[in-house]
Amino acid sequence: MKKLHLRMLTTVLAGVLMLGCAKKPLTLHVFIWSDYIKPEIVQSFEQKFGCKIVLDYYDSNESMYAKLKAGGGGYDLVFPSSYMVNIMQRQDMLQPLDHAKIPNIQHLDPAANRFTMDSNHVFSVPYMLGSSGIGYLTSKVPDFKPTWRMFGDPAYKGRMTLMNDYREAIGAALKALGYSLNTLDTNELVQARDLLIQWKANIAKFESEQYKNGLISAEFLLVHGYSGDIMQIMEENADIAYVVPEEGTSVALDEIVLLKQAPQPELAHAFINFLHEPEIAAQNIEFVYYLCPNLAAYELVSDEVRNDPAVFLPQNIMDKSEVVWDLGENNALYSHIWDEVKGAE
Amino acid sequence: MSAASGLPAGQPTAVDNGAQIARRRQRQEWWISLPSVLWLLAFFLTPTLIVLAITFKPADPYGNIGAGWTLDTIRSLGNPNYPSIVWRTIWISVVATVICLVTAVPFGYYMARAPEKRKALLVMLVMVPFWTSFLIRIFAWKVLLHPEGYIHRFLRLFGIVNEGDLLLYNPEAVLLVLVYTYLPFAILPVYAAAEKFDFHLFEAALDLGCNRFSAFSRVFLPSIRRALVTAALVVFIPALGSYVIPDIVGGNASEMIGNKIAQRTFIDRNLPHAAGLAGILTLSTVIPMLIVLGVQRRQARVTVPRRKRGAT
Repeated sequence: MKKLHLRMLTTVLAGVLMLGCAKKPLTLHVFIWSDYIKPEIVQSFEQKFGCKIVLDYYDSNESMYAKLKAGGGGYDLVFPSSYMVNIMQRQDMLQPLDHAKIPNIQHLDPAANRFTMDSNHVFSVPYMLGSSGIGYLTSKVPDFKPTWRMFGDPAYKGRMTLMNDYREAIGAALKALGYSLNTLDTNELVQARDLLIQWKANIAKFESEQYKNGLISAEFLLVHGYSGDIMQIMEENADIAYVVPEEGTSVALDEIVLLKQAPQPELAHAFINFLHEPEIAAQNIEFVYYLCPNLAAYELVSDEVRNDPAVFLPQNIMDKSEVVWDLGENNALYSHIWDEVKGAE
Repeated sequence: MSAASGLPAGQPTAVDNGAQIARRRQRQEWWISLPSVLWLLAFFLTPTLIVLAITFKPADPYGNIGAGWTLDTIRSLGNPNYPSIVWRTIWISVVATVICLVTAVPFGYYMARAPEKRKALLVMLVMVPFWTSFLIRIFAWKVLLHPEGYIHRFLRLFGIVNEGDLLLYNPEAVLLVLVYTYLPFAILPVYAAAEKFDFHLFEAALDLGCNRFSAFSRVFLPSIRRALVTAALVVFIPALGSYVIPDIVGGNASEMIGNKIAQRTFIDRNLPHAAGLAGILTLSTVIPMLIVLGVQRRQARVTVPRRKRGAT
């Protein structure tokens, strides 16, 4: 009922708009993570194709999914992480991609295929590969060691944060113990829970967004966060460093998907192809500090970025790292552990 | 509005006795309150009932609401981690309400007794925070209470806090910001009632042997009783449902029910469970309101005949 009314309203509005300007340029609606694309790339696409791009932002796969599920629509392209691509595909929210319209797909780095369930790119094209790790202030944490166990150090009590994301936070504890972060073993999960409860006594809070400002202003000295996020704030405070713990971490591959109800599938294909032009992809890597898995682009980025172990993860850490997979019914195992961690005194 | 004033005029006024006037007035009131009743029905009662109904629907791991009916959610509300969160939500809300009332009463009293010019200034000072977004004001508290912020440095100067002590990310910070946010809502009804209070009664009480304190507590406070109840409700009910404040200035041990509902909706994708928690929250706000309504109705029944007796 609500949907129907909204649709009527938008139809009326669209009608009014069409009367207003008979020849309106095509508009592509993109739903994406914040600070995840270089603005100049959007502008040059708009100029090249004589269209308009509207960007809307989300801060978690879950809130994006909840919005689309609740009927929020009108988007063409979305950038979910690989596990969410799988969920959205199974929920019949995506449409298959026409590879003939995305010739740049040839540049894709096959190494990234390990992190997606859609390695033939039927529904998705990889966009950016990032990791979770530790950001810290080098002057305030002189004895930093590249391990998740830093969160157990009482010297920094109250000045650290872990992500407010159950898979990331429990995943960090599982990795510290040397387990898989997709484990279904109750014994391993219980150990991770107890370790996380120990860490909880040491941290200021579970925080997935404000850790960036907290680190810039030295409110927090050591934070658990996403690689690109922390590298972006290094520009504001040169004291910040980012390290991936040697026990391995969670790697996230965000992919571009075309929604089933996309109003502009043609333009959407053109945009996916544009983002994988080697030149454009290289510019984007240098701006967001995540890795666009595009082999031709690797050759075009500056040496500084090419040699940055936070952007191009060293092979030995890559081998120990995993993607967070959706566990279906078994998500409840993690959700239950998370309740216990949050409720622990 | 036109319907409300037009209808009674169109009614034939054959016998103009008191009962009929009263009935007519009643009907008029009914017409006037019709828009707000419809509004509440459409946008409050109906959604609330839908939320309650969702509680009895099965959930799937993909955030869908399944077909059929189940009591699984009700059973899962017995989660052993909930009592501590519910208890925390209640004590933080109760303490915030008490602090707001204790602060609002003397302030409202002072405002009502202040000379006209200062009164206008005080009212404005109470309202000024509303010119800035609620969210920005909460973030401002993060700046104020920052380990290198002014308040921390000031308290350090007097040795009240140490270098490593944190003012943020604990239940006390949540309480402080709750009080800060809802204090104006408590002050305004108290001030409005105090403004109408006849301070000659106060002087009479003093003449009859009360000291200032007992005049305040035995004459002034009972006559602004309704305002006190309103003030308590407008602080307590939103405080129970807080989500943003504990999320931003709260820490590890300051999660409230609102945060849990958000987690169930966005992270666990379990809408029926979120609906169950929301139902608990709704009931826990409706029950105190019903109690207050009941008490007020009984008081009204007691006071009305007394007034009538005085009139005849």
